Parts: sequence; structure tokens; C-alpha cells
Amino acid sequence: MAVLQGAEAKLYVGDFYGRPCIMKERFVKNYRHPTLDKALTNQRIKSEVRANLRCKISGIQTPTIFMVNFETNSIYMEEIQDAVTVRQHINTVQASEPNLSSVCEQLKPLAEVIGQTLAKMHTNNIIHGDLTTSNMLLEGDPKDLSLFLIDFGLSSFEASAEDKGVDLYVLERAFLSSHPNSQDVFDCILAAYKNQMKDKSASKEILSKLDEIRLRGRKRTMVG
Amino acid sequence: MATFKKIRHILYPDLTMTLALYTGLESCKELRKSVMEGTVVASLLKASMIVDPFQVIVAANKAVHLHQTNNMTTKNVHSEILYCLSPSKNISESFRSFGAADDDNSVFVVIVDDTEDKTLQRISDILGHSPTDVDAVASLFDTELIKKAYKLTEEELSVYPVLDALVSRIAAKEIITTGKGKS
Repeated sequence: MAVLQGAEAKLYVGDFYGRPCIMKERFVKNYRHPTLDKALTNQRIKSEVRANLRCKISGIQTPTIFMVNFETNSIYMEEIQDAVTVRQHINTVQASEPNLSSVCEQLKPLAEVIGQTLAKMHTNNIIHGDLTTSNMLLEGDPKDLSLFLIDFGLSSFEASAEDKGVDLYVLERAFLSSHPNSQDVFDCILAAYKNQMKDKSASKEILSKLDEIRLRGRKRTMVG
Repeated sequence: MATFKKIRHILYPDLTMTLALYTGLESCKELRKSVMEGTVVASLLKASMIVDPFQVIVAANKAVHLHQTNNMTTKNVHSEILYCLSPSKNISESFRSFGAADDDNSVFVVIVDDTEDKTLQRISDILGHSPTDVDAVASLFDTELIKKAYKLTEEELSVYPVLDALVSRIAAKEIITTGKGKS
């Protein structure tokens, strides 16, 4: 049974030998040349699985992978049951609390966990590529702050401050457009990110890149 | 009847996978000999490398799928189960660390497509034992050996169960060991 359809894939829920499972099937895109389509799909499945696993190895919670089927371009993975997206959670908090500063106060612990998790991820040179509050899940009671990162289809492995800065910039844009009046919360994420990074010169470089990227946008200016 | 598990493959419901655990054995020598000679067709896994039957299910599920799609690395589906279970790309190393040895006192058996449980019966006859509950494997595993074989990190073990870490590695083996994507 299909539960969700995005631009890239369909999600089905089911059961994998007794475990709750999500099947993510990347469908064929008819507007792309078949060879290119196959290569892109294949590459995205691989990078998704690879980044998922590398996050796991670094101690970041991600869904467990059960099976990869290259014949049907699908990944079978653990369904995180009883979870809400960070996006839903922030919306709930914002809706229930009219006072802006107390919203920020309530979301602060979550912002810290997000910042720490992203710092851990970047320290291991994993670039998520599509950071949004919909790609972060809170398992169980949101107060427990059990954060899962999902959807690594656009991920890559880069050591450069530029790529990490862009990753943060993508999140900032997504964050501020899905959650109006949340600049303070996002600043909390950045502060926790900075704190968590052991290599201070690296975090400084990434954050100053972020400032630079804010001025010019995600794409680097091409010269020549 | 003893408590072995017989399950249908998720993609090929006509195919079954039988999982059985034997403990308290004198040795596996005779059984191993029969498998080597080809008179018994089964996969003999080292029980101390298995934390949960689900770990074996994931490997067997994958091996059967690779068999059906002609993508196997080894010669037959039973050796492929062993190879899938192991994180190593080296076949003989995989057999050495994840296959049952002659002097093991327990063995975890997987049989693909065992009609009327004939193979399972033969194995029980050879070993002179009936299978025990497969879940009992949870009390036989060697954490240190497993950590070493799968290269589990302290960071990950502090966050989620060993089983999750193993399962992801088994499912993603060929993707993570191609050496693509730097470090």
C-alpha cells in the first residue's frame, strides 16, 4: 500500500519478516533518457544507503536498512514507528504557544540536539544534501529528543567548508520558510553546532562560509 | 516438534527458508563432511557469530534474491548465505569466520527450499539431536568476536542495538565495500 509519494520515490509501509518496514521505491522518470535515469537512480540509491550507514557508524540514529533491491530500485528499511517529523513538532509547539519567546524557549533543547547531530555528521564529512525539518524525525515522545535523520538520497562525502556551509544554508532556508518567526530557534541550532565541533577553526570557517553563501545563494559564482 | 523456523521469502513466496539451531553437540565434523560431499545441501553457520535469527533472515533473504536475479558471488545459494552474512569480500575468509567448524558444539543451519523438511530431518539424524529454539542463539554469541568482525564502533553501540548495526551492514555490503566515495 502506497502511503506517500514524493518527486523521486514512492513509499510503501509493510512488514519485513515481522519488523515494521518502509519500502522506498525510486520510480522511472520518463522525461529522462533511460540510460541517464538508470545511472542517476542507481547512484542515488547507493549514496542514500552509504550515507545512512556512515551516519549510523558515527552514532547518529538512522533507519536500519533491511534490503536493497537494484532490480526494482527500492530500499527496504525500518519504519520508525510512533514518530513525528521535526516540522510537525515545531508547528504544534508554535500553534499551542502564542508567545514568541516562550516558543523559542520550548524548542531550545531540540535545536541543541539538531545542532549537535549536524556537527557530528559534518565532522565525519557526511553532507546530507537535503536538510529540512521534514527529513528529521522525533521518535516516541518529542520531549525525549530521540532524533533520526532520514532521506539521504542527495548526500555526498565532502570535507570542504563550502559544502558544509551549503548544507546549513539549505536547512536555514527550509527552516525559515516552513516556520515563520523562527530565526531565534535556527540561531540556537547554529550555536549548538559550533559548540559541538571540536575543531574550532573548522567550525569558524564553515560558519563564515555560511555568511558568504547567504549573500550569494547556494551556487558559487562562475568566473570566466 | 522442535522449534525451527520456516519462512517464505518476501519477494518469492514460493521459496522457503528454514532456520534451525542445534546445540549441545559433540562435534559438527560429520555434518560438515556431508555438506562438503554434497549429500546434504544446507548452509552451516557459526552460532557464536549470530546475535538474533533476524540477522540470518536478512542474509538469507538477500542470498535468495541474488540467486534469483543471477547476481551471486559464490557458486550456490547456500554458500551465498554464508558470504552475505559476512562483512568480508573475501570468500574463504567469510567461510572461515562465519562457517561452522568441526569442533563447534552448536551450529545454526539454513536450508533454502527444503521440501517436506527432508534435509532438516537428515541433519537431525546425522547430529543425533533435534533442533532447539532458534531464539536461543541470543545466549550463544560472542560479542567481542562480532564487534571485531563487523568493525562496530563504540559510538554506534551507545546509540542502538548491535542487531541494527549488523543488519544494515549485511544489507548494504556491496555498496559500502566498493571503495567508492572517499574514506
